[in-house]
Amino acid sequence: MSEEKNITESTKYETFTQEEYMIMKDDLLRPIEKIGKAGKIWIAFLVAVCLAGVVAYYIQETKSKYVTVSLRDYTMWGVYISNFVFFVALSLVGVLMSAVLKLTHFEWYRPLSRIAEVIAVGAIMLAGVSIVAAMGRPDRLYYLVTHGRIQSPIVWDIIVIMTYLATSIILLFIPLIPSLSTCKNHLKNLPKWQLKMYEMLSFGWEGTPEQWKILKKTVKILTVLVIPLGISIHTVTAWLFALTLRSEWDSTNFGAYFVSGAFLLGSAAMIIATFIFRKAYKLEKYLTEMHFDKLGQVMVLMGLIYAYFNINEYLVPAYKMSGLHANHLLNLFTGEEAPFYWSVVFFGIVVPCILPMFKKMRKPLPLTIIALAVFIAGWFKRYLIVIPGLLHPYLPIQDVPASWTHYSPSLIEWTIVAATFAAMMLIVTLFSRYFPIISVWEVAEGKLEGKEEIINYK
Amino acid sequence: MEKYKYFIATCIMILFSIATSYAQDKEAKITLTFEKADSLYVCKALVTSEGKPVSEVPVNLSVKRLFSNLPIGDAVATDSTGVATFEVPQDIPSRNGKLTIFAKIVDDENYMNTEASGEVNWGTVVVSDNSNIDERSISGGRGAAPIYFIVASLLAIGLVWGTLLYSILQVFKIKRLGTVNKN
Repeated sequence: MSEEKNITESTKYETFTQEEYMIMKDDLLRPIEKIGKAGKIWIAFLVAVCLAGVVAYYIQETKSKYVTVSLRDYTMWGVYISNFVFFVALSLVGVLMSAVLKLTHFEWYRPLSRIAEVIAVGAIMLAGVSIVAAMGRPDRLYYLVTHGRIQSPIVWDIIVIMTYLATSIILLFIPLIPSLSTCKNHLKNLPKWQLKMYEMLSFGWEGTPEQWKILKKTVKILTVLVIPLGISIHTVTAWLFALTLRSEWDSTNFGAYFVSGAFLLGSAAMIIATFIFRKAYKLEKYLTEMHFDKLGQVMVLMGLIYAYFNINEYLVPAYKMSGLHANHLLNLFTGEEAPFYWSVVFFGIVVPCILPMFKKMRKPLPLTIIALAVFIAGWFKRYLIVIPGLLHPYLPIQDVPASWTHYSPSLIEWTIVAATFAAMMLIVTLFSRYFPIISVWEVAEGKLEGKEEIINYK
Repeated sequence: MEKYKYFIATCIMILFSIATSYAQDKEAKITLTFEKADSLYVCKALVTSEGKPVSEVPVNLSVKRLFSNLPIGDAVATDSTGVATFEVPQDIPSRNGKLTIFAKIVDDENYMNTEASGEVNWGTVVVSDNSNIDERSISGGRGAAPIYFIVASLLAIGLVWGTLLYSILQVFKIKRLGTVNKN
């Protein structure tokens, strides 16, 4: 505790020595040097779930989809699409926790930015996978390029996903270059290929003033770029719904509603990830209680904004209760889906708005439990946005089979969804096993308050 | 007696179905006539069996569409002269003004299924104004997107990807500076 206090205090003064830097470097590189038994079991488990997903997808694609998945003429978008929306929302964590905080000079972002960026890269990749899993004919995906219309939101979505993925990878990689040089210089007992990888990827980093200048300028440009991109990716995802003629999605509010939800989900994901990395890699000195306190405050703010958009989204049409909306809204408020809907509202909106307001609730463990509830409710919220409305079509068909009027995902669908989660966690885990999950130089620079001395530390 | 109830019910049902199948064996013939009465289009279906008009037989009228027949109103029973009279709507769309109208007897108790058809010039010719089909619009095809839309999209895409390309080039610049420094 006293050590932690010392480091916190050092931010206020310019007392930062080479020796302190070496201690910090050792702390932050330790997770790369050896993988514990628990770590190996965790990776094996994630790989097993991913493989189960691959097998499930093979079954889905080789047998009739009518048999393997529960999608029908009414519910043609099921868990795959709600999972896609969830992952796109999750990918905005990079925008919020890295870019926004960085540009607004909230110094506590420093140890969190890389964690946020890795989650963003993993999430956007798996959002793409979820979309492909939902396709009736994935073999025709390239038709989007050869026959796609630029006027179509699905084409915008593909373009913006690819662009955001590329930007996130570049934005993750460039600030990693000095860290890779640190890995190259200080990690010794590692396989040859790994050391070679650090050598190659550190791009001849010497830490010269010119190199630092270019690196910081490029990172700044990308940081500015990633904010409108992140907002566009989720707005376009919202437009995939809002530009249709279906009443439950007919809203001019949808883009902002989705983005605000993504920021709340991002703060929850960040709390969970910070808690896990803090415990698993013993990073208590860097991911401090202060971070949880701040993240808890972010969660309240984002929760309140999201609550505001929810009121707009549900209570405005509910006040009018026009025929088109009534079917869907009454089903959510008082009908079949009511217990499900109100649980999601409680855990996904009420809890994050109120509980973290109390200081005691912003301690690591209670806040992580709250964040877990928000995270799970966040997934089901996307389920509620996509699915129940589809069960009330504009033109009801006579004598529809019972299976069209209800939707419960098949085992194949659940397995693929579970595999996407496992794959995302695997990406984050493997990254943290090969690269420093906390940026050594960014944390050190924070402690020096922008002094130029950092360029001498390699 | 209770014991044989099901047996007797089954026998009666078998006998009933044999009787109905024999009853349905009678053949009927439909003759269609089309006439214009005042401003109405009237179609008359005369149902005869063995040369005699048949009364109280329901006849269904329908018009041929692209994939199947579209029913025109409910079934009408033949009167004492064996004629079922239908009023045909005047707004049925057609490519060349011609309509193929079908009269059918379906699942009647006494007569076998039968149908007759006739062609009549009562359709409303639909003229589509396709003059704007090649115009550029949001709802247009791949090659017909509005120019402002293509320009705006390409500008946005170019600007973002240009910045990304610039960032990648900066990485190589970092490498070059590192090599220079080493030497």
